[in-house]
Order: sequence, then C-alpha cells, then structure tokens
Amino acid sequence: MSASETRKKVTSAQTAERLKEEETAGSLSDAADVYYLTKDNAAFHKTEGQMLAVTIMEETHSAVYVHSSFPHTNKHMFLSVRTLENREIGMIRSLDDFSEDTQQLLKEQLHIRYFTPEIRKVISVKEEFGYSYWEAETSAGLCRFTVRGGGSHAKLVTPDRLLVTDVDGNRFVIQDISKLTDKEFRMVEMCMYG
Amino acid sequence: MELMTIRSKEKLTILQQEGWLEKDILFEMICDRTSDGYFLDTYMALSRHKLLIAKSIKEPEHEKTYRGYPQLVQNNSSQEEGEWSVQTFEIKDIESIFMVNLVASGMLVMKAPQERIIATFTNGLMSKASRFTVIFEKLKHGEELDSELLEDETVNGSCPTCGRMYPEEGREICPKCMKKGALVLRLLSFVKPYKFSALLIIFLMLLNSASGLVIPYLTGTALFDQALKGEGYFADQIGLVILLVIVFRTLSLLSGVLFSTLNVRMVANLVFDLKSVIFTAMQRLSLNFFQRKQTGQLITRMNYDSAELQIFLIDVFSYFIVNAMNIIGITIILLVLDWKLTLICFLPLPIVFYLIQKVYPKLLRLSSRTHRRMSAMNSIISDSIKGVRVIKAFGMEHREMERFQRTNVHFSSAEQNYNRLSGTIFPMLNALTQMGGMFIWAFGGWMVLKGEISFGLMLTFVHYMYMLYGPIEFMNNIVGWWSRCVTASQRLFEIQDANPDVKEKENAIRIPVMKGNIQVTNVVFGYEPNKSILKNVTLQVKAKQMLGVVGHSGAGKSTLVNLISRLYDVNEGAITIDGVNVKDLAAESLRSNIGIVSQDVYVFSGSIAENIAYANPDCTVMDIIHAAKVANAHDFIEKLPDGYDTIVGTGGYNLSGGEKQRLSIARAILHNPQILILDEATASLDTETELQIQEALDKLIRGRTTIAIAHRLSTLRKADYLVVMDQGKVVEEGTHDTLMGTEGAYYKLVKKHDEALKMSEVISV
Repeated sequence: MSASETRKKVTSAQTAERLKEEETAGSLSDAADVYYLTKDNAAFHKTEGQMLAVTIMEETHSAVYVHSSFPHTNKHMFLSVRTLENREIGMIRSLDDFSEDTQQLLKEQLHIRYFTPEIRKVISVKEEFGYSYWEAETSAGLCRFTVRGGGSHAKLVTPDRLLVTDVDGNRFVIQDISKLTDKEFRMVEMCMYG
Repeated sequence: MELMTIRSKEKLTILQQEGWLEKDILFEMICDRTSDGYFLDTYMALSRHKLLIAKSIKEPEHEKTYRGYPQLVQNNSSQEEGEWSVQTFEIKDIESIFMVNLVASGMLVMKAPQERIIATFTNGLMSKASRFTVIFEKLKHGEELDSELLEDETVNGSCPTCGRMYPEEGREICPKCMKKGALVLRLLSFVKPYKFSALLIIFLMLLNSASGLVIPYLTGTALFDQALKGEGYFADQIGLVILLVIVFRTLSLLSGVLFSTLNVRMVANLVFDLKSVIFTAMQRLSLNFFQRKQTGQLITRMNYDSAELQIFLIDVFSYFIVNAMNIIGITIILLVLDWKLTLICFLPLPIVFYLIQKVYPKLLRLSSRTHRRMSAMNSIISDSIKGVRVIKAFGMEHREMERFQRTNVHFSSAEQNYNRLSGTIFPMLNALTQMGGMFIWAFGGWMVLKGEISFGLMLTFVHYMYMLYGPIEFMNNIVGWWSRCVTASQRLFEIQDANPDVKEKENAIRIPVMKGNIQVTNVVFGYEPNKSILKNVTLQVKAKQMLGVVGHSGAGKSTLVNLISRLYDVNEGAITIDGVNVKDLAAESLRSNIGIVSQDVYVFSGSIAENIAYANPDCTVMDIIHAAKVANAHDFIEKLPDGYDTIVGTGGYNLSGGEKQRLSIARAILHNPQILILDEATASLDTETELQIQEALDKLIRGRTTIAIAHRLSTLRKADYLVVMDQGKVVEEGTHDTLMGTEGAYYKLVKKHDEALKMSEVISV
C-alpha cells in the first residue's frame, strides 16, 4: 500500500471519527454553534447569471460562495457557504448530504473557487538565476509558468501532494509525487525546498 | 503584457458587428479562464457609455503560457479564427461591477440588478481587473478618468533582448540578459582604493605559478638528464640543481603565502566597503521596499551575498588566475618537450571530464537533498524545544519522538546515498588521474628503453601531469561559482540601485517649526492594486487640537497615519500640513515635526539613556531624566541596578511591554514634535499600566496637534474631535457629545466598550 493510500484511509477514518465525536460531544458543538445545511433545510440553485443561490427557511441568498475547509486533504467535506462579505450562512458536512444535482452544483462552485490545474506530466523544469521555468501537461492543458526559487513556492501540503505557486500566485498541484517518474521527480525535487 | 490571444482582425469584426469604433474603447482586457477549469478568453471593452463582453465559444485552449516564462513558444491554437458570443450593455443599466477574489484567481461579477458572472481570470490579471472595476465605477458616475489609470502598466513587462518577461513586476532585470561583464566591472570598481595591493597580489600570483612551474623541469630533466649524466647546461652540478629546487620551492611557497594573506586582507576591506555602501543605500529606501516580499530577507541577503562574494574573490577569482596560468604554462611546456607523450598524457582526460559532467549534477542533487532533510530535522528539534511546555502539558513526548525518528531516518538514508556515490566516484577519479601517470610510465618507459626520450624527461612529464589535474578540476567548478557570484553581486547592487518610492522633491519646502494644521482631502490608498484600504477619506485637524480616530481593526486607521507621516504616498487625493502638500515637504521637516508613539515599540541595543535620546542624541543628561519623569518611566528606571545605564535590546535587560512603551513616550517627549501621532499606544497593556501611561500621554499631548488612534475609547476621552472609520471610510465625525447624541456608530462603540468594562469589573470583583 502506498503512503498516499494509507493517508487517504487515515483521513477518511479520521473524518468519520470526527463526525461521530461531534455527535457525542454535544457540548462542544453547542458552543461552536455551527449551522449545518442539509437537503432538508437548504435548497441550492443556480441563478440566470450563473451564480449560486441558496434558500434557507424561505430566505434566499442570491449569491453565495462555497469554501472548502480542507481543500487539500478532503475537498468535499466540510464546505462553508458564505456571502461576498464573508459571512457564513452555514456549513455542509459532506456533499453526500445532498442530491446528485445539488452535489454537481456545489462541485462546480468548488471548481470556480479552486482553480488549480493538476500537473499530470512534468515536461521540463529549468532552474536559472533563482527562478525555475516549468513546462507541464495539466488537467487544463499544457502550462508554462515561472516559479520563484527558495522553498515556499513548491511545498508539500500533504506527504504526497505538492503545491506549486508561480510568480503571480497562480497555483498548480501534483496530486501524488510518488507517482512521478524518476526523471520527473529529479526535476521537481530541485525546486521543492530551495 | 498578457497574451492577447484575440486577433486584431477578430476584434475588429466584433466591434463592427456591435457598431463600435476602435477609438471608442477606453479600456479593454482579456480574461483567460473558464469557470470549469479550462483556459478560454473573454474579451471585455469599456467605452464612455457601453460595456462589451465577447466570450469565445471555441474549444478550450490547449496551451497556456503564464507571465515570466520566456515567450519563445507561439501559441498555435489561437491561429484560427473562432466564434465569439458578444453582448453589449449600457453602463447606465448596470448597477455595479465588482471583483471576487478566488483562490489564486479572480472573478468579475456584474450587478444589473441580478448578479451574474462576467468572466474569470488567473491571478496575473488581478490588477488589470481591479482597474477595470475602478474605471467602470468612474464612467458610471460620469467622473473624469485619470490618464494614469488608463495607461497600460505592463508595457515594460518584458526584456527587450530575449523577450522574457521580467519575473518581478517593477523590477526591470532580466536574469538572463543582465550585463554580467558590467556587473563585474562594477564590483572591481570597489578594488580601486586598493589598486597597489591588487597589483602586488597579481605580481605575487605570477611569481608563485612561474616558480612552481620550474620545479618539475629541475627535478626531472635538469637533475637526471643533465647533472647526473654529466651532459648539457647543468652537467655534474647536482648541488646547484638541488639548491635551485630549494630556492624556487621557497620562492613559490613565500609568494603563495604572501599573496593569500594580502588577498584575504584586501577582500575583507572590499566587502566591508560594499556592505557599508549597501547599508547606507538601504537606509534611504521607503518602507514599502522593506515590506515587499522579495526583499523580505534583507539581513540574509546582506550577509549571505557578501559572504558569497568574499568566497568568490578570495578562493575563486585569485586561484582562477593561478590555475589558468598553470594549465596554459604546463601544456606549453609539455608540448615543447615532447608532443607525442603529451597527447598520451591527455588520454584519460576526456573520461575524467565525462565522469565529472555526468556525476557531479547527481552528487549535487543528493547533497542538496541531504541538506533539505537536515533542515527538516532541525526544524523538528527547534519546534520541540520551543514548544516544550505544550508538548509536556499534553503528554505528547512520545509523538514528538516518533516525528523526530521519521525525519531522522529520512536524513540518514539521504546521507548514506550521498556518501555511497561520493565514496565511489572520488576514488575512481583518482584512479583515472593516476592512470595518466601510468600511461607515461608505460609509454615513456618504452620510449626511454628505445632511446627515444631520456629518463629525466619522462620524470618531468609525470610531475607536470600531477600538477595539471588540480587546476583542471578547479576549472570544472568555475561556472557554478561564477554564476553564484554574479547573482549575489546583482542582488546587492539592486539594493543600491533601488529608487525609493517616496521621493523628496528637489526644491522641497522646509518648515522648521510647523503649526500643525492637517488637511486630508479625498484620499484613496491601497498597499496592493486591487485592495483600497482608504476610500475617499477627508478630514481636518486644527493646530494644537486632538483628533481621535476610532474604528474596528482593519478600518484603515494606521494606514491613515502612515500616509500623514508620508511613509507611503497616496494614490489619489492630497494631504497637506500647514497648507503644503506632504509630497512637497522636505523629509527632514516632516520627521522633525512629527512624532509617533505606536503599539509596537522598538528598543535598540544600547543603554536606556541612549534609547531615550535616540531622536535627539545631543540632549543633556538632565533632559533625559526629565523626559523619563514626564513619561512615568523614571521610577522604574531608578529601580534597576544599572539605572539609566541599563543595557536593553537584543541580549540586554528585558523590559516589559509597559516599560518599553514608557521609554518610547520619553523618546517622543525629547523629540518634541509639533504633530504627535499615537497609534494604539496603549492597546497591548493591562488596565493599570494603561492608566499610568495615559497620564504620561496626557502630559505629552499638551500644546501639540495630536492624532490618536485607539480601539479603547477611554484613551480618547480628551479628544477635541472624533472620526469613526469603517472599512476605509469616515462614517461619522464630530465631538463626543454630538456623536453620542446621534446614536450612530460611535454611540454603539461606546456602549459596547462600557459593557466590556462592566464585564471586567465583575470579573475582577
């Protein structure tokens, strides 16, 4: 079993545990007072202007944004539904709490917010004078970008997942660095911690 | 400039269809991504009364080149003309256009009156999109457009020589095309004051390698073929040959020692000069320079880069000369002595070169991996030492041990890999080098037996060969050293060359003693292009009055005072003091008339007395004591065993927050400014200390124009006039009484404050 598989299992086990804990540890959740949205109390729909709207107890919020609490380790759990002013309307424990259609709608919103081309193949990484120039095949097509040297711009956010940030702050991600070929890994490794 | 993937012909077609002329366009931009994770363009243009949105309905682009990447690759996919879905809106029908910050990208949303997504874009277009919204806003309200706002700020975005975009905005340096020669010449200009030592050093270097080169000839050909054989110039003169060897060896040694010592001394002086030049340059730069990300590690840069240069100049530059001369000298001597044997000597060299080329990068990689894992391990060690209270409190020692064990294993395996490779490759290189010698022994021996060459000549060859490998290996590394030196010196000179954002005008106005009338008119300011912190702020402070600024954290209060003391320049609007724009005032007049007491107090290394006298070093001892007394600092200072001589700051006596604050007030009292800014001066202190400090502040405020920022309203009880700020705007202003009467934002704040006070009273009872 690869490290990533182990980790994923651990994460989902942890999440399940967390859910259970939350049910039992009533006092903490009372104190936190998080308003959870489910298919029973919230109805999501897309507006004509392609925005996400939600109706909760007859009150409709015409433009809400979906933030993921764990964008790297568990993107579809604990989503926070917020207004533009960053006020939380409620949280979604898991996408599974909603119908297929709503799930699709929420996933679309996550796509909009977390635009991060996933690197599928590293073609070249050339280091020169403190910058590395990357060329990679990604989920959004072939991308060429420039990364500033010095550690923090290519970092592991989990033991396997590498987040690469370019000079403008654009993000790219390598889902599992253990799946890179030796050659790819060699190129990437040189930029990982500076 | 961002990739304009819309072709001008396509654009014209779209404009024609919609009945637009190209000159109607005031501002245009291209957004580059779709909301479902692909790259596709949306073209947007603003005219005086209309907004045009053209969405490409092609297949998504297959390629995307982000800013900073060398633009050598042409984007093929956009060559064909595509279909566009075009919409035009009247600006008057649109309520607003705003930007939503997403993770590493952004989105433009239009409200008309329903909200709808217009376009999404990647992070590089953030500031352009922000300008789009600002321009829209101005058009909507029929305001005049600044020509600055409409200008394309990214015109100078790429290097004119190689077409690469500059990796950092506003820093027009192409790492690829910078003139390395000029850089080194500039570096060498620092040698000027030491030109005599430099000349002496070069002479000694030449002497060192020349005397070294003679020795193999003497110990080989001269000794064996001439002195021992009784032939030629040194016939039967064994004593002389040995004496000469000793003389040359000593000469070589002495000149070597002498040039190294002289060189080290010169380079140390040179780096000293360089550091002082850079440090002086740093002092005149604006606050903004220090807060920009890429210059965050200035200390490291100063020390590390100058150390890098020092190493280069001592170890690399000087030995480069010696080694180059050795290589050239030896090759010439060998070729003159016997060219056939020379070629044989050089036989293993290609293999050595090949191995070095092939293995060194790998070795480098392994060594940097070891280094990285070591720092990962070190950070765990430092974590567990710093966090020892938490670890013990939660009983997590075991987990920390496990965490350490994991990184330890990683480090150890990386180190083993490195050692394994270096343990193999270096003996191999040595063996190969030896092989050159073997070849000479074998072929040379054979030639000696055949009588083609003499034994002495062969021995000379062997010695020269051994002298050759060191310099060759050295030359192999020179490229890396060279590029590091270039980068280091470039970074250092960058500090020297940086232009302060806040510049003093040439004929700046001097006001020795200001009256203190401050007028802030329609000020707009943001540290980043898309985030205005202050939005159209207007306020006035009359001389000798106290203005209180209240508001939640993040309301823009501190930013306001940063602008008044001109640590930054406003984006729009104006700030005047006594009727003169702060941009026209001499920095010296501003600094001597404005004093700041802020929440974070900086204590310099030095005695308490020096710290108090910081702004006014020529003051008398009596002044210092009086200032401390007024600031309520005198009593605690007297309690210290070393009194006013107590050393504080890094490594010195640790002052408490309140004590530091009182020192800073004393400092401000001595500075005696006409305009005093109190920026949350008592925010981090407990109630009792605050009271003491408040008392000191009250004394300080007397007779000065004061702007006091506070979220504790008790601090502002003496304010003549109050402004309430919220989200960068002034939402209320007036005296305490009028504001309490209107029952607005200020009233609410006071109520909340009172409740909090009652709460703390209850708790303390």
